[in-house]
Amino acid sequence: MGTLIQQEWYKLTHKLGTWLAIGFMVLVQVAMAVLAAVYPDSPLFNASTLVENSYIGGDLVMFIAIASVASIVSMEFQYGTMKQLLYRQYYRSQVFLSKVVVAVLQFLILQVIAAAMTVVLSLIGGKYDWFATAKNVPHWQTYALGQAGTLLMGLLLLSVVLMLSTLFKTNAAAIASGFIGYFVITIAAGILIALIAKWEWLKWNPFTFLMTGNQLVTPALANMTHLTTPVMVVGSLVYTVLFGLIAYASFRKRSI
Amino acid sequence: MTSTILTVDHLDKAFGGKQVLHGVDFFVEEGHVVGLVGPNGAGKSTIMKAILGLIPINAGGVEIGGEPVSITSHRALRKVGALIEYPGIYPFLTGRQHLELFAAKHHQATNIKQIVTALGMDTYIDRKAKLYSLGMKQKLGIAQALVNQPKLVILDEPMNGLDPQAVKDLRDIIRNMAANGTSFLISSHILSELEKVADDVLILNHGHIVREAPMADLAKVGGLTYVITPANLSQATTALTLAKVAYTIEGATVVLHEDTDTDLLNAALYALVQNGVAIKAIDRKARDLEAAFLAMVHEDKGEA
Ligand SMILES: Nc1ncnc2c1ncn2[C@@H]1O[C@H](COP(=O)(O)OP(=O)(O)OP(=O)(O)O)[C@@H](O)[C@H]1O
Ligand SMILES: [Mg+2]
Repeated sequence: MGTLIQQEWYKLTHKLGTWLAIGFMVLVQVAMAVLAAVYPDSPLFNASTLVENSYIGGDLVMFIAIASVASIVSMEFQYGTMKQLLYRQYYRSQVFLSKVVVAVLQFLILQVIAAAMTVVLSLIGGKYDWFATAKNVPHWQTYALGQAGTLLMGLLLLSVVLMLSTLFKTNAAAIASGFIGYFVITIAAGILIALIAKWEWLKWNPFTFLMTGNQLVTPALANMTHLTTPVMVVGSLVYTVLFGLIAYASFRKRSI
Repeated sequence: MTSTILTVDHLDKAFGGKQVLHGVDFFVEEGHVVGLVGPNGAGKSTIMKAILGLIPINAGGVEIGGEPVSITSHRALRKVGALIEYPGIYPFLTGRQHLELFAAKHHQATNIKQIVTALGMDTYIDRKAKLYSLGMKQKLGIAQALVNQPKLVILDEPMNGLDPQAVKDLRDIIRNMAANGTSFLISSHILSELEKVADDVLILNHGHIVREAPMADLAKVGGLTYVITPANLSQATTALTLAKVAYTIEGATVVLHEDTDTDLLNAALYALVQNGVAIKAIDRKARDLEAAFLAMVHEDKGEA
């Protein structure tokens, strides 16, 4: 199993795109910090909004992770390398799990880089006080909670992307659905909430659980999702595991 | 004493309702090179995938080194290297990185260096594999199959896309490794391609093994022959028949039957000269293994 994880890691780290994506993310974060310094009064570059979203790093982490997870299984079909992976002494479950481990690891590392950059940039700018409070909660605590929420939401979204890319053997559909899913929670959340208000049972659909992160930071959302925050957390983990299992079931039955 | 490395036991396989393998049954001994020859769609790749636990089978079994192999039991495959159908290539890795990726840590650098040199890949091994030609990719796939010095190597049409030098290199590598105890199962749809490398040959058609024989025996089927072009065909045939020389007529020539020494040729020439038949040309005809192979496959179709 260790060997398999190492091999997946080797492939990931020998892809130029992996590094370009990180470089791009860091550059964008720096650029946002610079713009915020140059236009301190512009509402577009409001310091606390920027920090909350890790200088756009929050979105970029998701985009990169979606693209990466969408390819992690489907690329093996695309390159014809699946049989090379599977004819060895390992089991399909191990091959699949090694990919999941590396995908999660990459997502975590991206998030850590984005968060570390955020702290550094906010301190260099000197304008941001992590210990100031809003509604009696210090900023750092809100940020940490937001990161935890992003993690939960991200894992759920990535499990959907992995499932689709494994089912369809291609990354394009999976990337598209990942992006759509991501926009649904940011843009169409209002519609979903309206629908839940009308049909209560709709609250159990997986899209609701993509809002777990938001509800962690804004507990009042519970009135709209009609689910308590602990239920949201557990529910999103359950859906993540469920989609992961469907992905595995499809991977296991794939003929070579 | 030789022992058996691979046992394929009455394998049946159907895709959907279509039966593709019918009781395929054979074994490979340690240090032996076994050729699996058959036309397109005969089931060569399917047999190999079954051996490698890549596809479920309907009946029968596979054992490698005494351990069973199936889609859910892969332990025995640690001793195996393989190239199935075509080599899978990660475009973003160099050739060497492919080998690093799949080579066991133990003696990694030495093993890689050795196989790269043996296959003549030194000049491009550090270039990205997406820039490789068909033959270069094929060699990389072969190198991957061999790099861990497996006990059993399964190569599916390994000569595809290789130039004559590469074919010779590969043959030498296979013979060397076989001399050191490695066993090979190599498929091809051209019998003569395996002539210089295989010890034994399995001829497969429509999922049946129609013939199983040492390569040396099959090579005799075609035999070495001489083709004589006489000035007068009927005079010549009369003379040869009288002299009890076995022949067949092909166009304006007589083709002598199998002749590994030149006895038959001398007898024929003596008979022709004695009877005053002028000879316009004498040619040596290479034994035609392919014709023999096609005949075997054809016979099988007749039965079915
Ligand atoms: N995944 C599959 N689904 C359905 N039928 C299949 C599948 N794979 C192979 N077959 C069928 O099984 C038969 C044997 O195929 P196989 O690939 O083993 O032939 P082959 O001897 O390797 O041929 P070739 O020389 O063309 O490589 C063919 O009739 C093919 O159509
Ligand atoms: Mg084939």
